[in-house]
Amino acid sequence: MTAARMPLSGRRAREPADRLARPVFLACAVLTAGIVVAVVGVLVLETARFFGVVSPVRFFTETSWTPFAEDPRFGILPLLAATAQITAGAAVFAVPAGLMTAVYLEHYAGVRTERMMAAVTMALAAVPTVVFGYLALTLVTPLLQRLRPGTEAFNGLAACLAVGFMILPTVVVLTRSALRSVPAALMETGLALGATRGRVVARVLIPSAAPGIMAAVLLAMARAAGETMIVTLAAGNQAQLTWSPLEGIRTLTAFIALSSLGDAPSGTVRYGAFFAVSAVLFAVTWGLHATGRFLMSRRRAESAA
Amino acid sequence: MRGAKRHRDRIGTACAVMTAVVAAAFLAMAAVLVVRAWGAVGPGFLFDPSSRVADRAGIGPALAGTLWLAVLTAAFAFPVGVGTAVYLEEYAPRTGLAAVVGGAVANLAGVPSVVYGVAGLALFVRGMGMGPTLLAGGCTLAALALPTVIVTARTAIRAVPRGLREAAFSLGATRWQVVRGQVLPAAAPGIVTGSCAAFTRAAGEAAPLLVLGAVSFMTFAPRTPADPLTSLPTQVFAWSARSQQDFAAVAAGAGVALLLLLLAMNLVARAVHRRVQGVSP
Repeated sequence: MTAARMPLSGRRAREPADRLARPVFLACAVLTAGIVVAVVGVLVLETARFFGVVSPVRFFTETSWTPFAEDPRFGILPLLAATAQITAGAAVFAVPAGLMTAVYLEHYAGVRTERMMAAVTMALAAVPTVVFGYLALTLVTPLLQRLRPGTEAFNGLAACLAVGFMILPTVVVLTRSALRSVPAALMETGLALGATRGRVVARVLIPSAAPGIMAAVLLAMARAAGETMIVTLAAGNQAQLTWSPLEGIRTLTAFIALSSLGDAPSGTVRYGAFFAVSAVLFAVTWGLHATGRFLMSRRRAESAA
Repeated sequence: MRGAKRHRDRIGTACAVMTAVVAAAFLAMAAVLVVRAWGAVGPGFLFDPSSRVADRAGIGPALAGTLWLAVLTAAFAFPVGVGTAVYLEEYAPRTGLAAVVGGAVANLAGVPSVVYGVAGLALFVRGMGMGPTLLAGGCTLAALALPTVIVTARTAIRAVPRGLREAAFSLGATRWQVVRGQVLPAAAPGIVTGSCAAFTRAAGEAAPLLVLGAVSFMTFAPRTPADPLTSLPTQVFAWSARSQQDFAAVAAGAGVALLLLLLAMNLVARAVHRRVQGVSP
């Protein structure tokens, strides 16, 4: 940045520096806005072009996804169902575990345990998802196969477990801050009335922190839905509709990551399919994220009032 | 542990058990990685190029690629992100177009990384003709990190007390002098911490690079940003995908190397944080 290099000490240099600062900062903001517009714009444009060839109705209702076949089918439902399975499955593991850990750390743990677990949570949050993917494929799946011999080498359950572990820090950190925003007087009153700590937590604290906890869950689920490397490595590549968590499935993200390995030429329908799937993924995660952020901002407004 | 917190009940016990399970799972995960990596680490693992034979495979090019990507990401995203944050907080009107841009940026922070890969493929690799190079990867990761940099920098700038600005203005300082002399130094620790977290996260990303067309087999270490795109996370991915063919151990080795690199980046960030904190008024 040129502004940073402007001489500041000389009295004469001051005026030009001040005049230059505003346009330089404005240029940064314009560049940012340009990037936002370009990212969203390219998704919208290519998706629109794709829907010019493939009808959106068929895209959202057909149940077969075979973009590389002779007679390609672009029914996104199997991919959406797989993403829903991973997102919900990860939440099934992460929400109880995260909630209970957060409650323990906020209301039971001693200082040393709390500090240690805070470090564990931070470390967990810093682990790249590809490492979780590696563990899901080479550690979790073999264990599952030993427990249930019919388990496929690529399966939804291993991915759910790993994604759940990956989003755990998000749940713990945000739930803790939700619990902390509940006035301490509530706990003290409950204890003074003779209730156990656990009873106050279950009957008073969690209900009053519910919007914040819900926000934590939604933000974590947004991360789970957008998670790519774990599902790409562990969940497999079969675009199929199945209820079984022991079979291979292909999520929205895994399609994007795996199929682009063989590069599709620009302008083809297959190339357009990346953008259509990305746009759907964008919409799904944005919806979860925006709802979560809305709940959080409302909570903040309430606690400020 | 002391005081009232000690009193346990059934819910507390259940929560304690769950916390212990989480901690144990974390430790087990770390232990498995380290034990497996131990077998992969030979004398040349950090510097050797990739190989088709697992025993001879090294992470030299991938490590160099990730270092390049981290530098490029920071070089693009830091000035633009901090500049945008300063503009939005100190110069722009609170309403209108600037507010819209600010809101859109905050929402972009939640977009999955793989979507940035798709956008980067269209914009940088093909649109601007960069090809699948480190430069294209750096641009894509910078776009990915930018929203986080802006959001955290704005938070840090907003936390600077108004009195500081008003005092400077009342002494006749120009807006730039206020920004340069008061706001940025006071906000620097927050800006540095937030940005470094964003860059560390970006350096660990594999998905967008995979979409751009990262290569996992390179015989030489990249020397310029125009060299082919390769990185540690995508190397971990490629070897994990071949874990059936003896590559499980080297994948763990590359994973541990990646974790250590990100940890080192965190430590550097903390050192910088401490320095700028010492400088600030």
